[in-house]
Amino acid sequence: MTDKCYDIGTIQAFLDGELASEQTEVIARHVSACDGCAVLLAEAEEESAFAFSALEQEFNTLVPTQRLWTKINDSIEREKKSFWKPIFVFLRQPSTAAFASLIFVAVVSITLLSLKSDEPAKIATRNDAKIQNLIPVASTNLTKNAAISVAPSAPSLNPPVKREANFVNYNQNKEEVRPVKASLVQIESKARNSKTPVATPDAERITASDNVAGEESYLKTIASLTETVNERKDQTLTASSRFAFERDLAVTNDAIKKMKKEVQKNPNNEAAKQILRASYQNKIDLLSSVADKNELMASLK
Amino acid sequence: MTFRNTITRKISLTVFSLLCLAPFSFISAQIVEIKPKVVVAPAGQTVRVKRKNKKVVGGRETFAEKSIAVDAKVNISLCVSEGNLKITGWERNEIRAFVANGSKINLKVQQKSRQTNNPVWVMVTGSDPTDEKELSSEECLSGEEIELDVPRGAIVNVKGRTTETKIESVRKVDVKNIGGDISLNNIEQGIKAATYEGDVMVENSGGAITLETANGNIVAFDVAPSEIGDIFKTKTTSGAITLERIEHRQLEIGSNSGSIKFVGAFNGGGQYDFRTQNGTILLLIPEKSSCKINALYGFGKFNSEIKLNILTENNISRSQRLIASIGGGDANVNLTTYSGAIQIKKQ
Repeated sequence: MTDKCYDIGTIQAFLDGELASEQTEVIARHVSACDGCAVLLAEAEEESAFAFSALEQEFNTLVPTQRLWTKINDSIEREKKSFWKPIFVFLRQPSTAAFASLIFVAVVSITLLSLKSDEPAKIATRNDAKIQNLIPVASTNLTKNAAISVAPSAPSLNPPVKREANFVNYNQNKEEVRPVKASLVQIESKARNSKTPVATPDAERITASDNVAGEESYLKTIASLTETVNERKDQTLTASSRFAFERDLAVTNDAIKKMKKEVQKNPNNEAAKQILRASYQNKIDLLSSVADKNELMASLK
Repeated sequence: MTFRNTITRKISLTVFSLLCLAPFSFISAQIVEIKPKVVVAPAGQTVRVKRKNKKVVGGRETFAEKSIAVDAKVNISLCVSEGNLKITGWERNEIRAFVANGSKINLKVQQKSRQTNNPVWVMVTGSDPTDEKELSSEECLSGEEIELDVPRGAIVNVKGRTTETKIESVRKVDVKNIGGDISLNNIEQGIKAATYEGDVMVENSGGAITLETANGNIVAFDVAPSEIGDIFKTKTTSGAITLERIEHRQLEIGSNSGSIKFVGAFNGGGQYDFRTQNGTILLLIPEKSSCKINALYGFGKFNSEIKLNILTENNISRSQRLIASIGGGDANVNLTTYSGAIQIKKQ
């Protein structure tokens, strides 16, 4: 033990994850070497666990907590400061309103005149709009996945050659349009069925490097598990177990980050690679325990 | 005369007051008469003793009991929503289920043996005790005490919500609880046990063993494989793992923030993996062990009471590594931690 011991306040802050990552690292290293601080940490953990178990019922009740109120107030504030507010304020000025209404009348009259002069164009516009609506549906679902690895299927999303020919006579040639729609649905379902995970903040932060074999598969598993866990984390975990889960996850993420840096610095460092893989496995174990609990709870309903 | 009158009046008053007090004496006599019945069971039968201070459903205690003759190697599936579950293996080829102050019991035969026509797969389900209809729904059992006596050769599958589970003397167990401790004893041919809020304890058992808990401890002792290649796996996220006298040749032990303690000897040719994120790994082994240690400890530290023959040592900051042997180096022991300590001590 070389460093001096930490007081209970710092230990508690460490436990609550309130410290900067550098300080967390220093304390973690110190605690692993110092028996006195390890005892302090254990005591603090016990106290926290006791407090959480005592307050668990309070946490689980439907009475809005201070945190919830803060969230509500924040979102009200955000609502107030919405994008449209300054526009409405601008439009309320009499001169602006008059100018805007003049433009509106002009646009409407031009549109009416053009519609009268070119009747078939109306049909084309209407049907085109229908198909335009269809395409974004597929692409919207794909955009999430395309970011990771569905990119090769993206070009097939645009069947531009057939599009114009079919759209004009949509009402008459439904059969011709259907295959286009069907192909889009197929692409959509393929994208959904391909087990490529949706990008999550975690997955975005941690990207695979070429140095560690099999890292990509770890990341994919972690991303899909994270998605599953985040969906029902609040319902699945009690206050105390949520606390433990978040703490363990933070520690594991920190380890992954540092080991990745280490591997990037020295790609021949096999020890760092192994610790990195072990940390990935620990994260998977951590996430899968929550996902399994989810599954069990669902099966018992 | 006056004296006589006075005496007569006093006597009549006494008689009157005695008559008035008579009903009360009768009531008190009734109370005195209420005594617990002594049940004398015939030899060889279990006596169920009613416990005091029990929760009572609808103003009275309720008991449900059912039994069915089954095959010696029957599969039993059940789910428990709440209550203390106790499953015990016995010498009879019969399942007997008992629920105190809880649901009704339904023993549903899923499959019968072609040879003996005895049930080989039975589902134990429950239903609302106030429901007077036929038992048809496949609900979970619930009650204050749930007890099952099953053949020793039975395989038991349990799913539970919040259940304290105790299983003894059966062939194989697969138990999964959302919450509650799991205690397993004398399971012959394999265990799969998982709870998400509780401890898991295993003793005197054999076979392939997988133990998991999220926020709880794992304790296992006197455990051995029943077949070659049986693996012993344990996993906890924030609990401690304590293992004593584990005879398996392949161990995979992982804890995230909890510590791992292994007490016993390593088997020659065995593969032992111990992994933590920031928990301590403590090995209490005989001084004359024979194993090869491969320790990785990022920010952690390594310490051994037993003399090591160091083969490789790499003290690069954040990724420290040590490869060493003790004795002939027969077993492979992998120890990985990110910021925990690794300690090897003499047993």
